[in-house]
Amino acid sequence: MASKEATVYIVDCGATMGGKSHDRSRTNLDWALEYIWDRITATVATGRKTAMAGIVALRTNTTKNPLDTEDDYSNITVLREIGQVLMPHVRLLREQLLVSSTEAGDAVSAIVVAMQMIEQTCKKLKYERKIVLVTDARGSIQTDGLEEIVRKLDEDGIELVVLGVDFDDAEYGFKEEGKDGLKAENEAVLKQLCGDCGGTFGTLGQAVEELGIPRVKKTKAVPSYKGVLTLGSPEMFETALSVDVERYPKTMLQAAPSASKFIVRGDSQAVVGESEAGADGEAGDGGWGGLTAVKNAMTYQIVDKEAAGGKRDVDRDELSKGYEYGRTAVHISESDRNVTLFETTPGFDIIGFVDRTLYERYLDTHRGSLMIAQRSNDKASMALSSFIHALYELDSYAVARLVAKENKDPRIVLLAPNIEPDFECLYDIELPFAEDMRSYRFPPLDRVVTVSGKELKVHRNLPSDELKDAMSDYVDSMDLSTFGKDDEGQSAEYMPMEETYAPMLHRLHQVIKHRAVFPSGDPPPPYEILTRYSHPPSELIEQSQPALDRLMEAANVKKVPPKARGKRYGRKEAPKPLSDLDVGALLAHDPKHKRARLDPRNAIPEFKQRVNDASDMDTVKDACKQMKGIIFDMIRHSTGSAKYDAVVEALRVMREEVVDLSAAEDYEIWNEVLRELKTELFAGKLGEGREELWYRVRVNRLGLLQARNEKGKPLEGAVGDEEARKFLLAR
Amino acid sequence: MSESSNYGHGEEDDDDEEEVADEAGYKTSKDAVLFAIDVSESMLTKPEDSNPKKRDTMLSPTVAALKCAYALMQQRIISNPNDMMGILLFGTEKSKFQAGDAETGRGGLQYPHCYLLTDLDVPAAADVKQLRSLVEDDDEAADLLVASKEEVSMANVLFCANQIFTTKAPNFSSRRLFLVTDNDYPHASSRDARNSAAVRAKDLYDLGVTIELFPISHPDRGYTFDRSKFYNDIVYSATPSDPDAPMPLTVDIKPASSTAKDGISLLQSLLSSVASRSAPRRALVNNLPFEIGPGLKISVKCFILFKRQEPKRTSYIYLPPDSDKPQIAVGSSTLVADDTARSVEKVEVRRAYKFGGETISFTVEELAKIKHFGDPVLRIIGFKPMSMLPIWANLKPLTFCYPSEEEFIGSTRVFSALHQKLLKDKKMALAWYIPRKNATPALAAIIPGAESRSEEGEQQVPPGLWIKPLPFADDIRQAPDINLVTAPDPLTDAMRVIVQQLQLPKAIYDPRKYPNPSLQWFYRILQALALEEDLPEAAEDKTLPRWKQIHKRAGGYVVGWGEVLDEQFREWQRGHEKHIKPTANGAAKRTKAEPASSGGGAGAKKVKAEDGGEGVTDADMRDAYAKDALSKSLVADLKAWLVGKGLKGVGKKAELVDAVTKYFETKMDVD
Repeated sequence: MASKEATVYIVDCGATMGGKSHDRSRTNLDWALEYIWDRITATVATGRKTAMAGIVALRTNTTKNPLDTEDDYSNITVLREIGQVLMPHVRLLREQLLVSSTEAGDAVSAIVVAMQMIEQTCKKLKYERKIVLVTDARGSIQTDGLEEIVRKLDEDGIELVVLGVDFDDAEYGFKEEGKDGLKAENEAVLKQLCGDCGGTFGTLGQAVEELGIPRVKKTKAVPSYKGVLTLGSPEMFETALSVDVERYPKTMLQAAPSASKFIVRGDSQAVVGESEAGADGEAGDGGWGGLTAVKNAMTYQIVDKEAAGGKRDVDRDELSKGYEYGRTAVHISESDRNVTLFETTPGFDIIGFVDRTLYERYLDTHRGSLMIAQRSNDKASMALSSFIHALYELDSYAVARLVAKENKDPRIVLLAPNIEPDFECLYDIELPFAEDMRSYRFPPLDRVVTVSGKELKVHRNLPSDELKDAMSDYVDSMDLSTFGKDDEGQSAEYMPMEETYAPMLHRLHQVIKHRAVFPSGDPPPPYEILTRYSHPPSELIEQSQPALDRLMEAANVKKVPPKARGKRYGRKEAPKPLSDLDVGALLAHDPKHKRARLDPRNAIPEFKQRVNDASDMDTVKDACKQMKGIIFDMIRHSTGSAKYDAVVEALRVMREEVVDLSAAEDYEIWNEVLRELKTELFAGKLGEGREELWYRVRVNRLGLLQARNEKGKPLEGAVGDEEARKFLLAR
Repeated sequence: MSESSNYGHGEEDDDDEEEVADEAGYKTSKDAVLFAIDVSESMLTKPEDSNPKKRDTMLSPTVAALKCAYALMQQRIISNPNDMMGILLFGTEKSKFQAGDAETGRGGLQYPHCYLLTDLDVPAAADVKQLRSLVEDDDEAADLLVASKEEVSMANVLFCANQIFTTKAPNFSSRRLFLVTDNDYPHASSRDARNSAAVRAKDLYDLGVTIELFPISHPDRGYTFDRSKFYNDIVYSATPSDPDAPMPLTVDIKPASSTAKDGISLLQSLLSSVASRSAPRRALVNNLPFEIGPGLKISVKCFILFKRQEPKRTSYIYLPPDSDKPQIAVGSSTLVADDTARSVEKVEVRRAYKFGGETISFTVEELAKIKHFGDPVLRIIGFKPMSMLPIWANLKPLTFCYPSEEEFIGSTRVFSALHQKLLKDKKMALAWYIPRKNATPALAAIIPGAESRSEEGEQQVPPGLWIKPLPFADDIRQAPDINLVTAPDPLTDAMRVIVQQLQLPKAIYDPRKYPNPSLQWFYRILQALALEEDLPEAAEDKTLPRWKQIHKRAGGYVVGWGEVLDEQFREWQRGHEKHIKPTANGAAKRTKAEPASSGGGAGAKKVKAEDGGEGVTDADMRDAYAKDALSKSLVADLKAWLVGKGLKGVGKKAELVDAVTKYFETKMDVD
């Protein structure tokens, strides 16, 4: 659980904020709001009720704040008391945060108002308190009583952040020339204030620029295992070793926000109005902006020979739990539920040790974790440290069996030592079980083995020495280990993981936040850093170009040309069995295969044989026509969807053969069959309720054939992309 | 049997991309295997020199083949629950075809001397039981396993198989006929009959059925199976008809001996031949462009070679009130509106993000544009040494990739050159990785993997490159703060001896030796329930450490280490004036072992080698530290020395100096 937060944003809306400084295309207020909106929407995005914010506008035409009885506090308006910010508030604030026509209003007074608000909300409870002031410092500021404010900020533990429009910042490297005297004075006052209370003082330019660097969500470490690490069995032997340890996640995938399914409500008009009126409170359940959620409703069917269609709906309540063993249902009654449970007790047991240099990294499975000694247990820390150092010195890893909680499945993990000046731990990574491996075989890459068992070292699939050298040079020239720069400009690792940000995650956050504030604006372009690593650094590529050129020449890679068109039938060499027996000749004489009609029982082989053997287009066309007849018959006689798989297979074979054998202009043979199929299907001529078959046609991508030129564009007169797409839709 | 793992199947994508279901094209990536087992006098003869002590060696070839099918059936129910299997006996006196035909009375007439023992389907518990009783009950076998007097027509057998595949397994990506026979020359006297068989074999080929021949020789009768007489006209090259399937390293199956040669029974060699034919699976990603550098593209295919197998999820079962045959209820989901509960058409559905109590929505086009980070690609950004890849930097199992010539000619040689270079120099490539259209982009390490073969020469892990998506900063968790107490050298020395005693065989982790105990247990129970067998009492668990060996080999050293720990910790406490109660809540408790005062481990202490790296010795560094002159040392020396000490040798010079200083500070306390 993240801790509770209360942040008050103070936004300077004074008349001077309406100006455009330093050739910026937008007003200073809009510039400041870019930062403010980003922070506020980031808080909204958490969806946490305990992440609260309040908004105060400074130098407003009106005055409304808890201290407004005193003159010192005029022209300060509390726009939103501290609380969870929701969309209606965002909309309202958009209308309220406008440039005023006054220059009056004291920034320090606004800070006092914010402190007052925080005190009222947080009282003495545990909160992360923060005040963020964004101003151009061009209003007057009274400097008396500052010590009192610093003392109070300190006492309440409030963090103060002041960001100024065009404030000087030597570290960031900005200095405003010809600064107005009052502003310079005020800047000094605010800087002093921040310095005194340990707050942050910065220039807005830097803050806005840094919005492009995503913020990483910090998650509190929660142990995934607390218990003992043992070597040997304490239950069985007195020589077992055990150390109290804790295990924490080291890596955990941070998922990108996912969209939910909605439909537009019938009465959406009414709803929009309602939710705007409700700006002060929680949005009611009608508040999805005219949308209503969509749910999945499950229905269950069982086979029932007496029911129409052979199937019958059953209610969830009539069903009980069980498993499938092959196609047999195995029922397990409520009381026997535990029978499949593999009983385990928690533990972290070392199985043995392996050599680090022999460990293959492809065995890494799943997330990384880390193990430390039980906290505040110095003896355990020392004991674990000896284990970590011993592994390190022996260049070894440990293999261990982990049961994180009672009756959890055992896992096998690899433990690797990690030693830093102030930190030591064991990293662990899960290892696969026997069942998790699939044995697919692939030919070796460094030699070619022929059918006769000869090993070739020279072959078109093997790199020549020249290619190997060129590759070696290229790989060496593209080294990233020292290509980056650290803070001091020293060469360092390029693209360390800590400086990479999940593109989808932050891109979605970025556009959602943007749309929340600007509902009608186009989504902004992605932050540069999200795509920075999508290509090799151009400087490095430039430098490696000669090596790359040499590599490309040695590689001599060619794109496979688009399939040669225009050849018709009979070009394919008939496949032969191992013995090279001329089966074609046998087929030609086989009485069963010589008939004019395709045998519906053996349709696919005979169709293929006929098309492959054809010496004229008429034979091909006739074969397709007969095949069509067989397919239509299958559909007519299919009980329910029983024969649909066979239909799909027959269609697929036919389509493949047409693609394979004919020239582009012959694609129409297939297209005509398909058009006819669709017409008859939807006209009900092939039986009632056959529309589902079209769905199968679509998901199996058995659409119209499109003749295309080399560039992949449809030929003139051929089926176009839009036509092909529309055709596949139902009706 | 459990070693031959082709567990799991096609639909493996864990990525929860919001793909609309019907846009992901699919073709049933299922496998159908039909065993065709010869039942002839010679196939029913038990080997002469069988060893009565080993039951396996006493089986007739037909029964051995049935046992093999029985084992495969049980295995596939677990590993490939959607795949089909059937068993056809040929050359039997009896004839039987599919159930439907039996009613019309045509069954026996259509395919004489073909007996369809188990129709091609996902096996049911009843099929397993029937097969079991056939291989275990001699009476039942004697009744059915009777060779026909007249020769069965091979053309008919093959057409029978054709019809079984055509009707029962349409549109399967993999259909295989496993033919087990010892007769290398059927229809010896009839050329026509042999030619008809060849024609029917061609039909099967055109149907996409692969014939796998499992030939049997009889050394005791001086008979060696000769493929060239007949079967080379029947069997086609083993290249899978599905271009998506990986090209397997298939070698023709060598004739198995019906007698126990070298102690390997016919059953065992059949089982291993079948295992070597585990169904090739389609690629996860096909012809992914692999950009080695700007302008140099090759294509690769990606496969999943590691995937965690989980026990099956529960299903909903319907128990009819009037029968004891439970049925599986098939669930289907429909979309309904939350407010009115009316059902919703797919086209109506809009996608929106919940935000601040409302929703933020985008048009389909906008969202497509937002999520588009470019076309699928594996693009190399540059290279780093493998040592820069921390062990924890992982999120999910790696993906294997292998070159394909389908898009770019020359892909294999370029891939091979890269593979060899990375292996040789222990380097990795870093890449921008978008596996599929609109998939979430990742930064990945590309790691070279060498081919590994078993002692028998079987390939265990193929050679290729492995794609490892790396965690982003967002995915890396901060370590909790700790109060580190570094172990003094004597304690580390004591521990080192323990570690040295307990190395795993060959100093590697071999996953084949560790079946998942909970998964095994689950399926044993499920099988027992399905077949109405007695439930097993205890589970076998090969992941448990060998307690006894650990005790025997390292026990004494552990006791010694414990003493050193007590001693060193007391010393440390004195140094830190941190007098915590000596037995504070089980500090590093060595359960029950506390008082063991044998002192046996004390002798194991070794003098630790002074190893300060090449450049600077410990003495030099200590000197520099004492004179407060560390900042005058070279960065490289500091780094090397720190690394030599097992410390982190990275960072700015000031940090390095700090690290060295800290080292000596803590060292002083211990010294």
